[in-house]
Amino acid sequence: MSRTSHRRRWPGDALWAWLCAGCVALSLFMLATLLTLLTVKGLGHFWPATLEELTLRSGEQMIGQPLREAPMPTGSATERLYFTGNRELTGADWRWVGVDEIVSAATPADVIRLERSPWGDFIGRLIALELDGERLTGDSAFDRISQLLALPPSERSGELVLLSPSGRGLVQPLSGVNTFVAPNALSIGEKTAIWGQGVWRFLSEGPRAANTGGGVWPAIFGTLLMVILMSVIVTPFGVLAAVYLNEIAHQNRLTRLVRIGVRNLAGVPSIVYGVFGLGVFVYGVGGSLDQWFFDDALPSPTFGTGGLLWASLTLALLTLPVVIVATEEGLARIPDAQREGAVALGATRLEMLTRIVLPMATPAMLTGVILAVARAAGEVAPLMLVGVAKLAPQMPLDAEFPYLHLERKFMHLGYHLFDSAFHGDDVEAAIPLVYATALLLVLIVLVLNLTAIFLRHYLRRQRGES
Amino acid sequence: MADASLAYRYPLAPFYDVVMTPPSPAPSSLRTLKDRIATGLITAAGIGVLLAILAIGVFLVWETLPLLTHFDTLSLEKLSPLAWGTLKAAIAALVLAVPVALGAAIFSALFMTDRLRARIKPSLELMEAVPGVVIGFVAGLVLAPWVERHLASTLALLLWLPLSAGLAGILWHLAPKALRRALSLESAGLWLLPWIAATAALVLWAAPILEQQWLGSDLATFLDRRFGIDYTTRNTLIVGLAMGFAIIPSVYSLAEDALYDIPKPLMEGAQALGASRWQALWKVALPMAGPGIFSAVMIGAGRAVGETMIVLMASSNAALMSASPFEGLRSFSAAIAIELPEAPPDSQTYHLLILAALVLFLFTFLVNTLAEVVRQRLRRRYQRLGGA
Amino acid sequence: MNAPLNAAPPVVTFPAEQRCLNVEAFSLAYGHKPALKALTLEVPRHRVTAFIGPSGCGKSSLLRAFNRLHDLNENAVHQGRIQLEGDDIHAPNLNVSELRRRVGMVFQSPNPFPMSIYENVAFGLRLERRLPKRQRDDIIEWALSAAALWDEVKDQLHRSAWQLSGGQQQRLVIARTLAVKPEVLLLDEPASALDPISTLKIEELIRNLKNELTLILVTHNMQQAARVSDYTAFLHSGELVEYGPTDQVFTNPQRPRTENYITGRVI
Repeated sequence: MSRTSHRRRWPGDALWAWLCAGCVALSLFMLATLLTLLTVKGLGHFWPATLEELTLRSGEQMIGQPLREAPMPTGSATERLYFTGNRELTGADWRWVGVDEIVSAATPADVIRLERSPWGDFIGRLIALELDGERLTGDSAFDRISQLLALPPSERSGELVLLSPSGRGLVQPLSGVNTFVAPNALSIGEKTAIWGQGVWRFLSEGPRAANTGGGVWPAIFGTLLMVILMSVIVTPFGVLAAVYLNEIAHQNRLTRLVRIGVRNLAGVPSIVYGVFGLGVFVYGVGGSLDQWFFDDALPSPTFGTGGLLWASLTLALLTLPVVIVATEEGLARIPDAQREGAVALGATRLEMLTRIVLPMATPAMLTGVILAVARAAGEVAPLMLVGVAKLAPQMPLDAEFPYLHLERKFMHLGYHLFDSAFHGDDVEAAIPLVYATALLLVLIVLVLNLTAIFLRHYLRRQRGES
Repeated sequence: MADASLAYRYPLAPFYDVVMTPPSPAPSSLRTLKDRIATGLITAAGIGVLLAILAIGVFLVWETLPLLTHFDTLSLEKLSPLAWGTLKAAIAALVLAVPVALGAAIFSALFMTDRLRARIKPSLELMEAVPGVVIGFVAGLVLAPWVERHLASTLALLLWLPLSAGLAGILWHLAPKALRRALSLESAGLWLLPWIAATAALVLWAAPILEQQWLGSDLATFLDRRFGIDYTTRNTLIVGLAMGFAIIPSVYSLAEDALYDIPKPLMEGAQALGASRWQALWKVALPMAGPGIFSAVMIGAGRAVGETMIVLMASSNAALMSASPFEGLRSFSAAIAIELPEAPPDSQTYHLLILAALVLFLFTFLVNTLAEVVRQRLRRRYQRLGGA
Repeated sequence: MNAPLNAAPPVVTFPAEQRCLNVEAFSLAYGHKPALKALTLEVPRHRVTAFIGPSGCGKSSLLRAFNRLHDLNENAVHQGRIQLEGDDIHAPNLNVSELRRRVGMVFQSPNPFPMSIYENVAFGLRLERRLPKRQRDDIIEWALSAAALWDEVKDQLHRSAWQLSGGQQQRLVIARTLAVKPEVLLLDEPASALDPISTLKIEELIRNLKNELTLILVTHNMQQAARVSDYTAFLHSGELVEYGPTDQVFTNPQRPRTENYITGRVI
């Protein structure tokens, strides 16, 4: 009966429900689109793409990797963007070609692509490998090249004789070659292996060629180091502050106000923390440290400029509310009966805290710290003020005394992403790696958040049993 | 199991005296001392942390004091476009995000089954974790050029998406019973996904054709030629879309909590009196949860005003005073990120930028406090009603 | 209702050598809310004394005062004196930890710590001194036996205490308290959250333990008070209405209010 009456009120009644359902679907759709985009573009970049050899209407020959199509500004024709490489010969890595200009397209197996150190990618054909006066061609040349590339660059000898698509020959020393593939000749298995190598290189190597090649290892390392330092600072202080607020301070109006204040600091924009870090840590404390201990280096600042220590401190302050709030929530969940039980057995407050309360609140604290780390790993704005570098010449951790250089600038994944996407010389060339960096960053942050969610879930279940 | 009349098989008294010796008093006082010291340390650390947090406000005020001595019209001229940019970005984001977030909140709090809600809610909240720099990158380098080429499609999509959900509803009511049972309203949030993707694809296919037919060129060019409206690639619309994406989860999450926590008897009572689910929502749920929804929107506004990386990357960063959604903007936060590292300390720019930071700090702090107070009051109201 | 409230209540007294706890004009208030109003009573050694009365009458507050648990509430203020075996429990030089070891407390709902059964009982022992493991094991076995739990848990001492049933948990809490050898055991409605069989076990335990220590029991359950206690005190709105041997309080109450309460009439 209720069903029929429900139907009669249609459509003014149920239409709204559908709009609301649409909102849920739309939000999920956007999230899924974003993640799919990052995954496909970020991981797809390392897949050895098929190269097309084109004959244009003008009779010109060219080889390139097709990227995308767009309508011409006028008319209904479309044009296609190719990555052609060979910057030193043609002056550009990219070329737009009108689709109707193409007479024929083929994917010959002997086309090769190599990544070189001075000039970026080369796309063309291999004529021969010259090694100690020997001249190798065909498969023997390919085998030899892959052996030689396994050596470190300084120990390689030999030169490649290459033929560009337009028919010009050139000689490339093997020491400047990073990768060498003939993508059209590869099987799926080989392509997967090369893809795996590419991903590994991305994670383990430093950036090359103005962030358009290589990897992000220094940025991963810098982010990691900063986040660890930050956790070391924020965990004890956050926990102590929460314990003070929840276990020691008198629960009165002031405590409630302080609690609301702390909670709200989590909503204060991160850039404000950056301003505070710059004004107080860098200019204030850092400037004074320089005057007292490093005056021989002045006017070039040692601690009076952005660096690892100040960045960690700033982010520790930024994430302090997160840790305090999470820990307090954990402490508040512990039934007073547990505290009374311990006290009634003669435990002092310290013993009650260390033996009963803190162990019980550990998952909550851990949740807080993980959430803090997730926030810090993705936060870029304050770092722009207190200490990241485009390309740090020295790692902040090395074999040189005192090993951990707190004053040095460091690289950060998020800032690296921003910088190579917006301030690079060749943004178009950097974008595939930016996608990969973005994917990496999102993965790190999502995994951390998921861990926190599961921890919290576990915590609730454990409470439920008691 | 032992029976209730447990006799003592263990002689109690003798063992008791043999095993136990009275505790010696000395360690007790040591323990008390340790306890006093630890309490002192925790108190010191706790108060220290709270003072450090307080120091943020003090520092910002202190550093803006020099401006009082020579605050001139120049400062005002410099700050007002930034204030306008901040406001414009926040409004754009809220206009696009609040309807979606509230709609999603209503649906998942009142229509979804608890099991489904337990999965959907965390997934949507995960959106909040996506770093601003990633959203900014996608908005600035992927979305912005695409929207520039497909402006008509974008606007059509913004209009079409709500309509398509309504259309889905109409089709559903016309559909045979078996299909309706398979695709229930409760899980519509999920199975509408492919529907939205399909209809969106349809719009993307149709819009350029209609555009060419009616306008003769694409919409951006048409607007420029016909009305002289400039189109900047990275503009307010893009900022609104990107930041909208970023604030949907926080608004959704808080509003959903407020709606879900409404004591169940209230809603059931209204429905028992013959109100439909939607009438119950309008007459009972929204007035009850109103303060909670208000505080959710406030939190969203706070986040939109202070967000840095998205505005920095998705807007042109030109300090303009224009109201057009197709022109760029520059917000306080972006100005601080760009200019502060270059500004020498003690220069007027430095103090001005710190004033901007102070404004952001005060605004977000006040807004959040308001939201928190409202939320706590609401929670107490729910407790009263739920207990009754 | 006809007897004036401020008249001296009928109270049993004991010779000094039988007194374990001695309460003299003790008042307690939380902020501006008075909980106990100038109570005076004596608790005999090695007997079970029950405190009964309606909710909020102050019986739990009095019980918690013996253990100085009201210290945890920063709003609590008190006046008057409580003596344990002649020692003022509020004396400035008295060690609270030590007092609480002499006066053990068992709460309304079982509150085992989130650790193993063994560690729960060992908790109090580990606070004060380092005992050799052998001796500690002996005490734990003894305490669990005294609490009539040993047979049920002796093979699973390292299981989490939270996996025990409610009645077992409550007996574990009693064992935990016994392990530090208290002189007084305070029981705050120890069986109110338990099923009838577990309740019977706890009552049995109380009767057996009185040979070794002084027990004070707060209960809502009149039959329980009648079954296990030797003396019964009836409290109402923070005041002592009547205190005497249990038989007398239940069969021949001196005050009409006591009678009303015991027979279940509104007071």
